[in-house]
Amino acid sequence: MLGGGTDLPGRIALRLYPHVMKKLRFSGRVICVTGSNGKTTTSNLIAHVLRKNGFTVINNAKGSNLTAGVATTLLSACTLGGVVRADYVVLEVDECWSRFIFAEIPVDYYLVLNLLRDQVVRNGNPDLVFEKIAEAIAKHPDMTLILNANEPISQNLAGDYKTVYFAMDRTKRSTDHCVSGTNDCKICPRCFHPMNYEFYHYNHLGKFHCSHCDYGSHQPDFFGTDADFAGKCITINGTPVHVTYNTTFNFFNTVAAAAVCCTASGITVEQFAAGCADFHVAKERLDDFKFDGRRTVLMMTKQNAASLDQSISYVLEQPGEKSIALYINNVIYMEYKDVSWLYDVAFERLKGKVEKILCTGNRALDAAVCLKTAGFDDDTLLMETDMAKTKEAFRKTKGDIYILAASAFGNEGKILEELKK
Amino acid sequence: MKHIRILHLYSNALDLYGDYKNLTVLQRRIAETGNTSDITEVNLDEVIDPAGYDFVYIGHGKARNLAAVAPHFVQYGEAIRTAIEGGQVWFVTGNARELFGQSFTTPAGETLPGIGLFDYTGVETNKVFVSDMLAQPAYDENARIYGFINRTAYLVGENRYPLFTVLSGCGDGETPDGKEGTLYHNFFATWAMGPMLARNPSMLRELLHRLLGEDYRECDMTLEEKALALVTAEFDKK
Repeated sequence: MLGGGTDLPGRIALRLYPHVMKKLRFSGRVICVTGSNGKTTTSNLIAHVLRKNGFTVINNAKGSNLTAGVATTLLSACTLGGVVRADYVVLEVDECWSRFIFAEIPVDYYLVLNLLRDQVVRNGNPDLVFEKIAEAIAKHPDMTLILNANEPISQNLAGDYKTVYFAMDRTKRSTDHCVSGTNDCKICPRCFHPMNYEFYHYNHLGKFHCSHCDYGSHQPDFFGTDADFAGKCITINGTPVHVTYNTTFNFFNTVAAAAVCCTASGITVEQFAAGCADFHVAKERLDDFKFDGRRTVLMMTKQNAASLDQSISYVLEQPGEKSIALYINNVIYMEYKDVSWLYDVAFERLKGKVEKILCTGNRALDAAVCLKTAGFDDDTLLMETDMAKTKEAFRKTKGDIYILAASAFGNEGKILEELKK
Repeated sequence: MKHIRILHLYSNALDLYGDYKNLTVLQRRIAETGNTSDITEVNLDEVIDPAGYDFVYIGHGKARNLAAVAPHFVQYGEAIRTAIEGGQVWFVTGNARELFGQSFTTPAGETLPGIGLFDYTGVETNKVFVSDMLAQPAYDENARIYGFINRTAYLVGENRYPLFTVLSGCGDGETPDGKEGTLYHNFFATWAMGPMLARNPSMLRELLHRLLGEDYRECDMTLEEKALALVTAEFDKK
């Protein structure tokens, strides 16, 4: 069970009939969405735009993305005769579980947003996830892949499959050198020689070409240009499209969603643009409220350095005096005390830009050690491991507060509960 | 004052989860002791000549990348063995350890030779194995080490030079045998990945001692000690 989505009905059904999903018939097309970052937002956006364009859509909102979650979604929606009656079924699928899910259901379109180091405890490294996705794809060789031409690891899934590519042009946030501490594709995934980047969007996403072989960014079919972060707008194949939330991640999600919606349903980019005008990002990923009259923003990540780096970019663009609260915990289900992924975050960018950095959660001191390694001094660092003292600790910070919450499976909301008590 | 020349091997191919920050920490602490250092990165297709360096580091990497660098590494096997036998300080994390054994298997099912410094062989499983480790290091029985192990391979063969006595968690092999890592002359190795030297002050001190000798000065590691004490206390609670 992920992100609060319930999968109990599916779990029970699968216990009784392990291949119950194989019995289902689909009256429309099935779209699956995976990747290290952006699955929930992108699949929700795709479902939203298709509905706005008059199609009937069934989707697994809120992250029920394992086999049981998918089974719950489909079984709740099907008729007594086992027909899933909708023009489109849009499923967010976990990157490691898609191979099990794909063995049970037909898939027509498969969007792979990106592959980055993510949740080390569960995923190991992106190569292992790549192999699992490749296994899933092999189950439906006739489906259409939608791949990111700015991401060298997942673009390499294309093989001889029918593939539609999306990418983004250089933006104001693009850099000539990677600003992340490290990245997942310094060398070519095909020949292992150094990978060159014309520019970086973030981490190892950008326009790439191998220094040795002919592997490089594919010509995109859906291309985002003129990204206007302040105005929350990107031009896709010549048509301006509104973007709800102005992180680079979300600009990518929007271009990817356009590629999927236009390819799968035949709508135009104009119709896509009209459909996303009133889309909202699910609230639990970004909460904006007042604490002691101070603006307080909660941003979530699941032990994912690139995602935390994006949150830092967002913080740096906000006006006024501000502080950071890091919320770092054990990986809850097994209590692993690992924080290695935190060392890949480019915290250095916050130097001189924030008043205080408060470390909270049961790995607060380990987070503080990481920040000291990044060169922060004792005047900037605050730490509090006792959750009951969260409010007190927050009052020692100055300005607006940006909570960068990184935890896994279940305890994400705890810091909010403490603050809102 | 000493100048420490650091060689970082395969910095672009073997680079997972904060491993490279071991060198950031080491350099910062060398500076704090009033000494200096520099880092040279050597990658695939470049010449490995360990002789000119005081410290050599190799980190944990993707299994396919390890397979890609292994034939290159083995070409320099003799020079590397000579340097280690001669007491050069090395620190090797994660699957890079497989390069020092007799041989290891790759995700594609091939068997590649190592440099044969140790008796063990590596076995790739293509599956993520995860363990927290609480351990006692061979260089100081009063110290405690926390390591996070996240690997897809394991080692087979007797561990004659263990770096750690494992108090909780796995060892080098498929099943725990109470031993983990390698300490041979000044060659330190462990499956534990990530910033080991940032989180384990005793290990950082031991390496600094061996590198700097008389030029070693004590550094303030109060915060690191406190952070580690909280981690080890959680093991005691279990």
